[in-house]
Amino acid sequence: MSTRADAADTLIGTTDGAALAAEKSAASHAASHASGDVLAVRDVGKSVSGPEGNLVILSSLNMQVAAGEALAIVGPSGSGKSTLLGLLAGLDTPTSGEVELLGQPLSTLDEDHRARLRAGDVGFVFQNFQLLPGLTALENVMLPLELAGAADAASRAREMLAEVGLDHRAGHQPLQLSGGEQQRVALARAFVSRPAILFADEPTGNLDGETGRRVIDLMFSLRESRGSALVLVTHDERLAARCDRRLVMGDGKLTAG
Amino acid sequence: MAAAMTSGMLRQGRFALRSLGRDLRAGELRVLALALIVAVASVTAVSFFTDRIGRAVEQQAGDVLAADLLASSGLPLPEGIEQAVAKRGVDTALHTRFASVVIDSDGESQLVAIKAVTEGYPLRGSVRIAPLDDPTATVSLGSQNGQPEPGTVWVDGPLVDGLALSQDEVLELGAITLRVAGVIDYEPDRGQNFFEFAPRVMMNAADLDAAELLGPGSRASFALLMAGDPAAVTDARDYLEEQYPGELRLQGVRDGSPQMQRALDRAQRFLGLASVVTVLLAGAAIALAVRHFARAQADAGAVMRTLGASRNEVIVWLAARLTLIALVASCVGALLGWFAQRVLAGMLVSWFGFELPAAGLSAPVIGTVTAFIALAGFGLLPVIRAGRVNVMRVLQNDYAGVDGSAAISAILGIGATFLVVWLLSGDPLLSLIVVAGVVIMLLVFALFGRLMIRGVRYLAGSRYRLAVAGLERRAASSVVQLAAFAMGIMALLLIAIVRVDILAAWEQDLPPDAPNVFVLNIQPDQTEGFAARLDAQGIDNKGLFPMVRARLAAHEGVPVLEDPDDEQQQRRARREYNLSFTDTLPLSNTLDEGEFWEPGDPEPQLSVDRSWAQERGFSLGDSLTFRIAGVDVTGIITSFRLVDWESFDVNFFALANPAMLEGFPATYVTSFRIEEDFTTATTGWAREFPGVATLDIGSIITRVKILMDRASSAVEYVFLFTLAAGFCVLLAAVQSSQRERIKESALLRALGASHAQVRRAVLSEFAILGGLAGALAALFATAIAFSLSRFVFELPFQLNIGLWVIGVVGGAVGISLVGYLATRKVLHTPPMIALKASA
Repeated sequence: MSTRADAADTLIGTTDGAALAAEKSAASHAASHASGDVLAVRDVGKSVSGPEGNLVILSSLNMQVAAGEALAIVGPSGSGKSTLLGLLAGLDTPTSGEVELLGQPLSTLDEDHRARLRAGDVGFVFQNFQLLPGLTALENVMLPLELAGAADAASRAREMLAEVGLDHRAGHQPLQLSGGEQQRVALARAFVSRPAILFADEPTGNLDGETGRRVIDLMFSLRESRGSALVLVTHDERLAARCDRRLVMGDGKLTAG
Repeated sequence: MAAAMTSGMLRQGRFALRSLGRDLRAGELRVLALALIVAVASVTAVSFFTDRIGRAVEQQAGDVLAADLLASSGLPLPEGIEQAVAKRGVDTALHTRFASVVIDSDGESQLVAIKAVTEGYPLRGSVRIAPLDDPTATVSLGSQNGQPEPGTVWVDGPLVDGLALSQDEVLELGAITLRVAGVIDYEPDRGQNFFEFAPRVMMNAADLDAAELLGPGSRASFALLMAGDPAAVTDARDYLEEQYPGELRLQGVRDGSPQMQRALDRAQRFLGLASVVTVLLAGAAIALAVRHFARAQADAGAVMRTLGASRNEVIVWLAARLTLIALVASCVGALLGWFAQRVLAGMLVSWFGFELPAAGLSAPVIGTVTAFIALAGFGLLPVIRAGRVNVMRVLQNDYAGVDGSAAISAILGIGATFLVVWLLSGDPLLSLIVVAGVVIMLLVFALFGRLMIRGVRYLAGSRYRLAVAGLERRAASSVVQLAAFAMGIMALLLIAIVRVDILAAWEQDLPPDAPNVFVLNIQPDQTEGFAARLDAQGIDNKGLFPMVRARLAAHEGVPVLEDPDDEQQQRRARREYNLSFTDTLPLSNTLDEGEFWEPGDPEPQLSVDRSWAQERGFSLGDSLTFRIAGVDVTGIITSFRLVDWESFDVNFFALANPAMLEGFPATYVTSFRIEEDFTTATTGWAREFPGVATLDIGSIITRVKILMDRASSAVEYVFLFTLAAGFCVLLAAVQSSQRERIKESALLRALGASHAQVRRAVLSEFAILGGLAGALAALFATAIAFSLSRFVFELPFQLNIGLWVIGVVGGAVGISLVGYLATRKVLHTPPMIALKASA
């Protein structure tokens, strides 16, 4: 099990980037095969202190996500879906309980080690795309590969852009792209490093119905071709219905839907 | 492991380099780059200027002494002294001055002031000589040939006039005869010896022995001139002070002439002020720009962390980009600074009349180091914070700022400012004062700014509601901008005041009606005739003052020469002073302590120059005994005077009341201003009033004035960089709130506001900010200008009301313009795109 953390430690600089990515991918799949789950949540709770005392956002959550599985988490606005997503991806730490991502208990890792764990094996798609302004579409897609020190970042990113149908827009800046195109670039960025698991936060929230549908088709297609697990946070029931499993978030708790 | 780390660093370096290219394309770092370039260029240029102009000014000031260092004595100089200092790497020359008499071919005699010079004289500056038959055909002669050939002399114009000399006429001097080879048009170190009565005769020292004029006990002044590398001159000075304590009178460039000393000091203070203000402004621009950069990059850093980058990697990525931009900006800035000083040095050549001395290589290094210190001090913390923001912001759309502890930011910023000012001034105490002043000023700006913004809310009508609401919504940011704008405008106003008011006052410090002619050795029976002669020529003089030559014999009854074998006491006892007596305090004197005597007071009393009293340890009530023509006369010091030696009026170290000196042999002295040519004005005086010596000091005053003009021109050019730095501050301050403005403008337009309405709101907001900042700036600029003129430059202060008008109106218009130009692209962008950009 130590292989993943060790491999993640080398994000910047100990081995060739491409070899590192391959090594990490192998380690990731080995881990998931060993346990069958890429994500496990045990008794996770999250509360914050506010002016009116302690506010419980999540309480005693339990769930697992198997390798290659697509899980939807639905719930009304303000139910804590995004907070949960942050905890699952190691962007935030729970007040209680444990999240195990790709075989690693996140509580044993500090912020930087959690970041290394995400590198290359975790993909993200956000509601508001989160493309870096000032960077072209191609450069945005190259970003995760560059962070991992991959030598062939440009060619791989170009291939990925072609796969999402935007190779002709490679030199355009985010502001020059439509919302749908921006989200496709975001998908290319999320999948370019062939992640074991993809976290998606309301990926169609900023898109119209038709564009949203096309983006989702693309996301599911890319996920299936790469065998990535998916944790999708949405309040769109139709979108949730496309997943293998559905959990409902309400009052800080998760229930099977 | 080491190889792996190196490889990792290289990879991160490459990544940062690629990011930098994107940054520059995206314009994200343009203002920061501009601020850094201006900082480096200005510091480099100012350092070059300070260095080169400082060297040139010192070199020219050295002309007044004809050397960098002068060692003089009333006794022959010790054996081997010239060789000993020459060993320390300085060039040397000697001159000997004494009074004597020359006899022309008609047998007419004239008292003259002989100056016998050796090879090498003058070590600094040049002697201007003309043939007697064509006084306008002057030639400048430097150290190679600034001495008369053996067997020849150069003489002053009044001697030519007095003895009706012609070219190559022979003069008898002691045991030899010397041929008159030229007339002296300018003698560089003549200002040192104002009170040599007689016209100058300059001869070659090689003829001195043959003339048999100087024997043991002869009254003469012996001087050793030294010039060279500053370190060698210092070494020579140290050697002389150590070997001959109290025996030699040492004069450097700075203590050679009070006028020149003050001109030099002021020039250096102005240049120092320009340099420090430029750097402070550039630092403020860097601080604002780097803060903006860090805030803008916080989201990118958070996204990168979701993609797997660690906090440290994000911090290194941001810091590496800043380092790279600083390196690029330093190279560009150093190059610009070098070109700027080259162009200006070219202009200054014609002003100085000689090629400026080369500057050292330290200037670009100082510029680069300054930029990095400022960048580290102001940028490190925002970058660290940008790398450590809560990564959940990407999921929760929380775009809170990255500003953390204001105290730590302040400490780092203050530390950086202190280091930079210290680096430039080399004076830790001054740096501490400057930094404390800036901090207090910024705090007061912030406090006033907050109050002003609140006040505007009540005063503004509905027409400006949008603008005022904008200011209030961004209260903290508005206060920061207000402080930055105020600082920028204040610097610009200060430039205006310093350039126009203080420099003008400095130049006016030498009054246009300053006397340019001294007349000495007027005999008592000549005073009436001479005064009538001046009246006849329409020359307004300030009165004829009696002058009594005396030696100080005792202080408080203790003889100055207690031990006849003590050489130092001998020298002090031999020194002659010019005393005068009067019943009224002279015009250019102010009473500092004690009381000036009433007319007719029978008690012998003295009024002494404060600086001379301090030098000699005299106190009020002390008795001084002077020996005049073998008679001792004692008086009590009843007052100290502050003497304005820069006035060029006739002044004396010691003034006595008539009861003390009346009746002793005296000659009279006067000074006045003539507008016409000196030679023309004084033609015939030597024959009409035999023995009267006229001295043209107009050329010396002109040289001091020229020096001041040149120095002030240089300072004005240096302030151009301050102007550029001030502009950067304004630009950076506008940029810092651009993101919010873009969003608000887009929202307003989405809600149906017309183009004109949004433009008016933006312009009004900037105009209000600019007007308030202008008022604050005018207030502080006035206070600082007052302090500078009163305490630093010691010049009279004049309140400039126009400054307030320029501050408020200029601030409102200028900031509106800069603000509008910076945001006009946004105003013309369709609201949907603007909203997308701000999301």
